[in-house]
Amino acid sequence: MYWLRNKWTLRALGIASALLIWEALGRTVGEALLAGPLLVIPELVELVADGEMPRELAGSLRQMLLGYALACCVGMPLGVAMGRSRIFDAIMRPWVNMLVVTSVASLVPLLIVMVGTGFGFRVLVVFIASVFYIVLTAYQGTRGIDPRWVDVGRSFNASRLRTFWRILLPASYPFLITGARIGLVQAIRGMVVAELFVIVGIGGLVHNGGLYISTANLLALMVTLMAVGVTANEALRYVGRRLAPWYEERYASGA
Amino acid sequence: MSLARQDAVPTYVVYAASLVVGLMIWEVAAQQIPRIIFAPPSVVAVELYNGFASGKLVVAFAGSLAHLVLGFVLAVAVGVPLGFLVGRNRTAFYLLDPTISGIYAVPPIAFVPFMIIWFGLFFEARVALVFLMSFIEIMVTVSAGARGIEQSYLDVARAFGARGRDALVKVMFPAVLPFVFTALRIGLVRAIHAMIVAELFFASANLGRVMKDAAQRFDTGGLLAVVVLLAVFGLIVQEVLKQIEARVIPWHVRD
Repeated sequence: MYWLRNKWTLRALGIASALLIWEALGRTVGEALLAGPLLVIPELVELVADGEMPRELAGSLRQMLLGYALACCVGMPLGVAMGRSRIFDAIMRPWVNMLVVTSVASLVPLLIVMVGTGFGFRVLVVFIASVFYIVLTAYQGTRGIDPRWVDVGRSFNASRLRTFWRILLPASYPFLITGARIGLVQAIRGMVVAELFVIVGIGGLVHNGGLYISTANLLALMVTLMAVGVTANEALRYVGRRLAPWYEERYASGA
Repeated sequence: MSLARQDAVPTYVVYAASLVVGLMIWEVAAQQIPRIIFAPPSVVAVELYNGFASGKLVVAFAGSLAHLVLGFVLAVAVGVPLGFLVGRNRTAFYLLDPTISGIYAVPPIAFVPFMIIWFGLFFEARVALVFLMSFIEIMVTVSAGARGIEQSYLDVARAFGARGRDALVKVMFPAVLPFVFTALRIGLVRAIHAMIVAELFFASANLGRVMKDAAQRFDTGGLLAVVVLLAVFGLIVQEVLKQIEARVIPWHVRD
């Protein structure tokens, strides 16, 4: 029975049994409480064919990506600076530590009072949700860079600028990429938080999905969000492998 | 850290200075803009004081803690053993991993409408959301830790004749403890996040209620008071967990 120990067989078995249990549960409690996959899949196909959901999703993702890009542009340099400068670290750390444990949902009512519920609000929530995770990962990564590497650069008479571009930056790629991945997950979460609160975009659809008698619509939207999350994560993992081939080793040893 | 990191001014002095300067900048900046946009820290401090003196914040906070604690304790009770099992048992890992990763990829806030359908709008729903949002995080962290237990530890234990129960209790449990603490800390941040999400998105209650009332009055001071309360609470709990960790597993060095 060696094939039964194969990890791909086990994975396929796991997915199949999860779907079976889901379907069985759905049939037992009824679609008002939990629609089974046989109801959710046609619903999903219909949602995609109808065109409204993909449109809303695309709009939501555009705003999310803008907030996320801003968070990367601000968070990565900030994290690297904190990692390499003691003074800067000491100045920024209390604030970053405090803000990273602050749940973005608790800021939502305040942000609405400050900037309204429009485009800026949604971008801002995504930014706040992701930026501190990006900062902290970049910070921890650059702080942990082996000082010997810098010493080697110095003994070859590298200038400070050259040390930064040729040694410190490549050494921190794996952490910047990990930060980008964690940040993207948080950005997607922030996007849904903002949209569910003011009922727009894909989050608004999720809110409305909760109002139907059948949960098939709601579950189809959740499956969509799951697909978005998995795709985003895999995409960044691919980018990571291309930009920093030494990344995977580091990642594997950390897991 | 190395000797280069030691210097004359202790870090906590810089921290304190950074906090004081930051608060001063916030105070001066907030004085320039209307109070309904952003409140200065002096107003927030007064709000906090009044909230505690009148008992309003104390009652609300105690109410919030009730579902936070219950949901979190349940999440730990289920998440830690399950994470350990999934991490140590190869078959369980490959069977469950795709499903867990899938659920993990769904932004937790998207479960809110679902929680309403299953658990209503009140206490049960809040506990369920706290459980859900912290449970997955705890389980994933513990299973990653359990998977990463050094094989050499187990080999040494076996060489000295430890088998079954002994190996489990004397080698594996201590080896996985650092990850349990990490899981507790991450899980608690998520749980606090879920706590306030639940109070804002279900029938508003406790601290969420305080925030919604303040938002309706454009009382940014009141809003910030709750945000600060949550942030400080989050930091204190993290610090307490770190202290406990240092006592329980002194061999695990953490900077």
